[in-house]
This record gives sequence, C-alpha cells and structure tokens, in this order.
Amino acid sequence: MAPAIAVEDLTRTYRSRSGAFRRKTTVVEALRGISLSVEPGELFGLLGPNGAGKTTTIKILTTLLLPTSGSARVLGLDPARQARDVRGRIGYVFGGDRGLYDRLTALDNLRYFADLYRVPVAKKRARIAELLELVGLTGREGERVETYSRGMRQRLHIARGLLHDPEVLFLDEPTIGLDPIGARELRDTIAGLHAGGKTILLTTHYMYEADALCDRIAVIAAGTIVASGTPSDLKGTVANQTIVEIETFGAGDDVIERLRAVRGVSAVAVETREQAQVVLVQSPVGAEIVQALLRELDGSTLGKVVTREPTLEDAYVELVRSA
Amino acid sequence: MTRAFFSGMRIHVKQFTVNAFDLSAVVLWPILYASIAYYLLDGKNDPELLLSASLGAAVMTMWALVVLGSSGALENQRWLGTLELLVAAPMPFAVALAPITIASGVVGAYSLVATLAWGALLFDVPLSIDSPLAFAVAVPMSALAIGMLGLMTAATFVIYRAAFHLGVAMQYPVWIATGLLVPLSVLPAWVGPISWFLAPTWGFRAIRDAALGGPAWTDMGMCALLTVVYFAVAAVCLRVFENFARARATLRLT
Repeated sequence: MAPAIAVEDLTRTYRSRSGAFRRKTTVVEALRGISLSVEPGELFGLLGPNGAGKTTTIKILTTLLLPTSGSARVLGLDPARQARDVRGRIGYVFGGDRGLYDRLTALDNLRYFADLYRVPVAKKRARIAELLELVGLTGREGERVETYSRGMRQRLHIARGLLHDPEVLFLDEPTIGLDPIGARELRDTIAGLHAGGKTILLTTHYMYEADALCDRIAVIAAGTIVASGTPSDLKGTVANQTIVEIETFGAGDDVIERLRAVRGVSAVAVETREQAQVVLVQSPVGAEIVQALLRELDGSTLGKVVTREPTLEDAYVELVRSA
Repeated sequence: MTRAFFSGMRIHVKQFTVNAFDLSAVVLWPILYASIAYYLLDGKNDPELLLSASLGAAVMTMWALVVLGSSGALENQRWLGTLELLVAAPMPFAVALAPITIASGVVGAYSLVATLAWGALLFDVPLSIDSPLAFAVAVPMSALAIGMLGLMTAATFVIYRAAFHLGVAMQYPVWIATGLLVPLSVLPAWVGPISWFLAPTWGFRAIRDAALGGPAWTDMGMCALLTVVYFAVAAVCLRVFENFARARATLRLT
C-alpha cells in the first residue's frame, strides 16, 4: 500500500530582510533535507525542540508553504502543485489560542468552516452535532469562543479540522499551553481518532505525549531527522545507559562542566523543577560514577539522588544534544 | 461555492457588527461627511446640489468601509490565525475573500440611508427620488462593484503583513480620482480616464442619476462590467499572490 505521506530530501530556507537603507538579509535553513514516510492509519510523531522544523514540515504538507527543494506527497498528491486537491482531503489543526473567530459562537465557527470545506447541506447539522459530542462541547456550542478555556478552544479546533472527515489529520502541537487535565482529554480524543483509523501526523515537544500516542516517531533537530522508529526503538538507543538523577540547589555552570568531565559520563542535562535543579547524568550500564559525581558536587546543597532506567525523554535529550 | 460565499458574508457582517468601534465608525462617518458637504457647499438654495453632495458622501463612506474594512479584516484574520485556514480550504481563495469585501460594501449601503436621513432631518435636503426602481437596483449594484474593487485591492493585502496601513493609503487616491472629494473639473485632464476604471465613479453616477434623473441604467451597466472585470483580475491576482505568500511565508504573523 502506498504511504499516506511521503517526504524525500525536503528543504526549506527562509530569507528575511531588515533595515531601511542598508538592507540586511538573514537566511535560516529550517529544513535541511528531511525524509520520512507515514503509512495509512498510522499515528506518526514528529518530535523536536522549538525551532527544529516541525511546523515548517507540517505547513509544507498542508500546502501553506512551498518547499525550497525536495519532494513531498500526501495521499499520492503533490502539496506544492496540487494544493486544491490535497486541501479537500486533509485536516489541519494547530495549537494555541488562534485559528478561531473569537467573537462568534462555536456553532457559527463550525457552520462557516463546514461551508468552506464543502460539507453537504444535508449532512452539515448532523456532522456538527456528532463532532461537538466527540470533543465534549455539546451544550456549549452557543457560547462565544472568547469565553472558552484554552482546552475547550483546542477541542473546538479539532472539531473544525474534522468537519469534512479528512483522510489525513495534521496536528501541530495541539496540547501546547493546556493544563494537565485538558491535555489528557485532548490526548484521549487523538487516541480515539487513531483507533478509528485516521492517519495522523502529530508534532510535539512533549516526550510522554509521543510515547503514549505514536506508533512511530521521528526526532527532528536543527532541520534534520536525527532518529526514527517506534518509541521502544528510540528508548533502545540509550538502553545500555543508566541515568543518575541528582537534585541540587544553586549548582553553577562550572559545576555542571566538572560533572561532564567525570570519567564514564556520557551526557549531562539539567532540568529546573520549582526551586531545584535536577542534574540528569547518563553513563554506560555498570559504570560506578555516583561517588565521583558527589565529590564534584561537594559544597553544593543536595536533595534526592536516584539511579534509574532511561526513558524516551532521556533518549530524546541524547539525540537532540548529539545532533 | 454560493453557499460558502453567503456563509462568509453572514459571518463577516456578524464579526463587523459585534465590534463597537467599527459599528460606531459606520454610524458616524456618513453623518460627518454629509455635514461637511452641506457646510462646504453652502447650498441652501440648491436642493439638487445638496442631494448630490449627500449621495457623494455616502459613496465615499462606502469606499472607505470597503477598503478599510477589508484591509482591517485581513489583518485581523492574520492575527486570529484564520487567514491560513481560509487559504488551506479547498475553495478558491477568492470565494473566501470576496464575502469580506462585499460584506463591507453592504454595511456601507447603510451609510446611504443614514446620509439621506441626516440631510433631510437637519438640512432640509429633499428626499424625492426620480426613479425608485433604478435607485433600488443602483444601491446594491454600487455596493457590489465597490466591494469587488475592494477584492482586487485586497489581493495585495494578502502579501503585506501591514494590510491596514496599505488600506488607509488607498482611501484618498480613489476619492480624489473619482471626483468624490473634489470635482474632476478642477483636476488635471489625465485624471478623467482613470476615473472611468473605478467603480465609485459609476456607482455614484448610478445612484445620483436614479435620484435626480439621468442615464442610471447605463451607469449600472458600467458597474456590472467593472464587477466582472474586477473579479477576473482579482481571481488571477489572488492565485499569484497566494503562491507568493506561500513562497515568502507571510500568511501568519508569528
């Protein structure tokens, strides 16, 4: 079966100019030749930090941007040259507060987009009711969107993207800015769509989200795909590693650099959790590094020290760090 | 396509009318322009001149609402993030955009009623209409033609992020070139032919001739012809500019 999405050596360069007289041109290479393939019915995750090229990829596939070079196919069609044909068969949902008419009701928004997306009149009312039910907004459709919480807006976005029952759904960081409950509800909705057979390309920078939802993941960093496979495959890239988590308070950059220099340390990352910094140190299984690390941290205020198995997040950090 | 068009009209008129600032501008502008025209012309002894000036003021408002309304609406769509969604729809972009400009023209038709009522109530401008049928057709025909001129200019707004500023800049040149602000007779001769290609010229003539007597149907024919030409040019421009915006990544403000 032909892939639902096929991308081959795709590049995209942005050029911007600034200054009134001495015009300065800035060139940013957002994509540096990425290739990926998504099978029909698959939920594929594009995982990467901000500015990695996730949104650029999605915008090229949804016909909103032209690539600089390379090829892309969505349902066998070229989104650059056959934009109109592609648009009728895909749905595009992005995260955040935007993309809706705030002063109008949810129903007004859905009715308008249903007409724009050629939903037949006979089916329109039933389809809108069905989608409101699916995203849990039944009974709230008569309220203005500006009164909605972020989670409700995001669910309304999903309903809008599904109005014409697209074969492929593009979700660009749909849970960004949502509270944990809202994000969980939205993930449940996405899982339900996947279970119903939709092909979904999801971009996210939340590792647990990709781990929980995706069949396969591609990790993108600085416009390049640095790894791809199932979540288990990616975890396998750090399977021979152990993680030491050390909770510290006020450890400076010089201390972190000293930890990196400890014999046997593969990688060091730092996360801020409330007042504490949590230092994540990767090392090969069997390397006895804890005592050496604690020696380097002598004089710093320490909290918990935990040794554990690597997670997808550790794999991701390692992949992005080494990109 | 027709359903999408009328749905778009409904949604944009609704958007327009829930904004108190836009609504107050619609209510106040024609009254302001009509008052200025009355005092400027000092036409107490020439009721026909006063009526003509009132109608001119109404058409001025119509154009202002179209060009500012559509440029403002496009900039607003960009901020709301909905411009990308309109482009991403399977409909031709012109079908998504035309309701925005025509809705502004339709709202502008109100300015005609407000101007005439204001003139009659305060300045004793006569309300006698020579051909009510021609008048009833001329008003929506003018709104449509001016809306389509707005669509043609709105095509350029798609590629410029500061669309509203461009809209403001387009307001006065059309007022001047169509003789709405100052009579064409006081302008250089080369301005005359330019006015023939601008819908407000024929829209104003159609409404004035229907009210005061004159070849209103000929003027309306010109409005209809320009509507078709504007739409054809706008459809081509929109396709070209949409590709330009896709290449330059200017559809979204981020």
